Amino acid sequence: MDQHIQPAAEALPQSAPFSFSGSGREYFGIWIVNLLLSIVTLGIYSAWAKVRRTKYFYNNTQVAGASFDYHGNPIAILKGRFVALMLIIMYQLAMRESGVVALLMLAAATFASPWLIWKSLQFKLYNSSYRGIRFGFRGTLGAVYKVYLLFPLLSGLTLFLLTPFAHQRLKKFQHEESRFGTTHFSFNASAGRFYKAYLVVFFVWLAGVIAITVLFGGSIGALSGLKNPAVRSAILAGLMTYLFALYVWLFVLFPIFSTLIQNLIWNHTQLGPHRFLCEMKWPRVVFIALTNILGVVCTLGLFTPFAQIRMMRYRIGSMTLLPEASLDEFVAAAQAEASATGEGVADLLDFDLSL
Amino acid sequence: MTTVAGLYFDGRTSRAHRVNLTVEAGVVRLSGETERSCPLDQLHVSEPARHIGRKVTFPDEAYFEVQDAAAFDTLLEQTGYRDSSVVRMQRSRHGILFGVIATILVLVLGYLYLLPFAADAIARHLPAGVERTISKGTLEFLDQHVLKPSRLPAARQAEIVDHFRNLAPPQAGAPSYEIVFRSSRIGPNAFALPSGQIVLTDELAKLLDDDEIMSVLAHELGHLHERHLMRRLVQSSAVGAVVTLLFGDVSAVVANIPTVLLDMKYSRDAERDADDYAIAMLKTNGIPLSHMADAFEQLKRKEGDGGMPYLSTHPPTAERIAHIRQAE
Repeated sequence: MDQHIQPAAEALPQSAPFSFSGSGREYFGIWIVNLLLSIVTLGIYSAWAKVRRTKYFYNNTQVAGASFDYHGNPIAILKGRFVALMLIIMYQLAMRESGVVALLMLAAATFASPWLIWKSLQFKLYNSSYRGIRFGFRGTLGAVYKVYLLFPLLSGLTLFLLTPFAHQRLKKFQHEESRFGTTHFSFNASAGRFYKAYLVVFFVWLAGVIAITVLFGGSIGALSGLKNPAVRSAILAGLMTYLFALYVWLFVLFPIFSTLIQNLIWNHTQLGPHRFLCEMKWPRVVFIALTNILGVVCTLGLFTPFAQIRMMRYRIGSMTLLPEASLDEFVAAAQAEASATGEGVADLLDFDLSL
Repeated sequence: MTTVAGLYFDGRTSRAHRVNLTVEAGVVRLSGETERSCPLDQLHVSEPARHIGRKVTFPDEAYFEVQDAAAFDTLLEQTGYRDSSVVRMQRSRHGILFGVIATILVLVLGYLYLLPFAADAIARHLPAGVERTISKGTLEFLDQHVLKPSRLPAARQAEIVDHFRNLAPPQAGAPSYEIVFRSSRIGPNAFALPSGQIVLTDELAKLLDDDEIMSVLAHELGHLHERHLMRRLVQSSAVGAVVTLLFGDVSAVVANIPTVLLDMKYSRDAERDADDYAIAMLKTNGIPLSHMADAFEQLKRKEGDGGMPYLSTHPPTAERIAHIRQAE
């Protein structure tokens, strides 16, 4: 409607880096009070805690001179958590039951989850805003079941050969159905690129496993066959070290994987004509992830808020917005689309599943 | 009155308007690139944070972002605005210190006293049927994977069952139970399933004499009578939930370690409880407690110090034997 009432006042902005201004010390206060009140109220307060925390993270995320905001309603979040708890209990009961009942309950939970994920995505996007304009998420029921149920099933049935494809379709769905005001996001990373990223990670993983096996596995092989109990316990210790090394290797690998995927996704996402640049470096991510774990374990959890802020600062700081036009001209959906959207607002307002 | 410089976003387009905010007679006025006024009590002020401007949100979601923080603080003071008590707590040094101490205190006291108390109350008030349904399939599962049919003669089995049936439980209201015999690779062992079965291995039945077997069965009946499984279930779920809250971000495996360690104390407490129950039951029936101590001695000798995490879920055998001898 009045998209062009205000002419762009400034020249076309060059590039707008994202920045995160949250501080560990400040967030520690929010975190500890949230934790205390959540425990004392047996989890009820956790919904309000989530709103406080998310608002802190959103408000501290800035790009092009403005920050994000979060509008989630704690009561809606509480309802979502209650439903999530019911699902978990159902799942637990199903595990203890046997036979047909368990299968039926499991099937019901599995079949309900794509719809729930969809609703909570809508909730999350609808309750996020930037410069006073809300985000939104559309999607259709059919597409939701395709990306959250059919493709994952197929990827399982094909021994994960289809996993990169399923992942690409999932991200494509999530990004293409997202909008900022009336402006849609688009996504143009091909499945081929996902296969490439997965292959790179697979070979890095394999190389690591071979290296670890040569280092620790060789000594185990040399020792085997001996009946001496002392030797046997040495073998056991060697085996434990070997398994531990493999586990730590996974810890290192996961940040590499998420870095590659994150860069891939955002470098192929556009908001209208505007592009994004994501330049996360995996050595840095691995370093932050490992030191975070050490910090949290050594402080019995007290380092957690600092850890979250550190990771967030790096991840957000690696992103840049590359505007193709003035950023002043996004229009809120409520005005331009009135009631034409597929998502019933009343429907969204009362559901959130994410923890 | 104070003037605060800032940006106004109208909630319809993404454009930032440079405006000044003033308050007069309970009404907020924006002036500059756009004009707007609104009664003070319809506005919402966001929480303060060090590096970001606070936001003043209008009823229609349009908002004013403060750029001149010092002037805004003065204005808030002039209008008598006060942050909520939660916000004041999370921003003050004393509030945070109180938060840390109170959280640790609540966690420790909750773990040591409140949770065992609550779990006991829940377990006692839940109908026995619930507990039994939960563990319905357990014996079938064990039969498929760990246990084999007993090779003990039927007459001997009946003898043991009858012997135990003739003993009086130390308290009224003992639950119904069934003694089942199995042969197994796990050696001499006995355990109770919440579904009401007490499993006795052939190896145990051969290792111990009758009175010793009775003390082992009494211990297992103690687990059933005191509803230990339900208690453990409540306790470990609560511990798991809190630990996940604390460490869940890090890794599922890392989060499991404290859960398991913390849960072991509850397990050892349950074992001590069951020992006390067995002691009381033997006393009621006039069986010397030395049989029970002998049973533990023999099991300890047979098991050796073979390690196994199983041991740490139980108190040290020496301590348990000393406790029995004390009760004599």
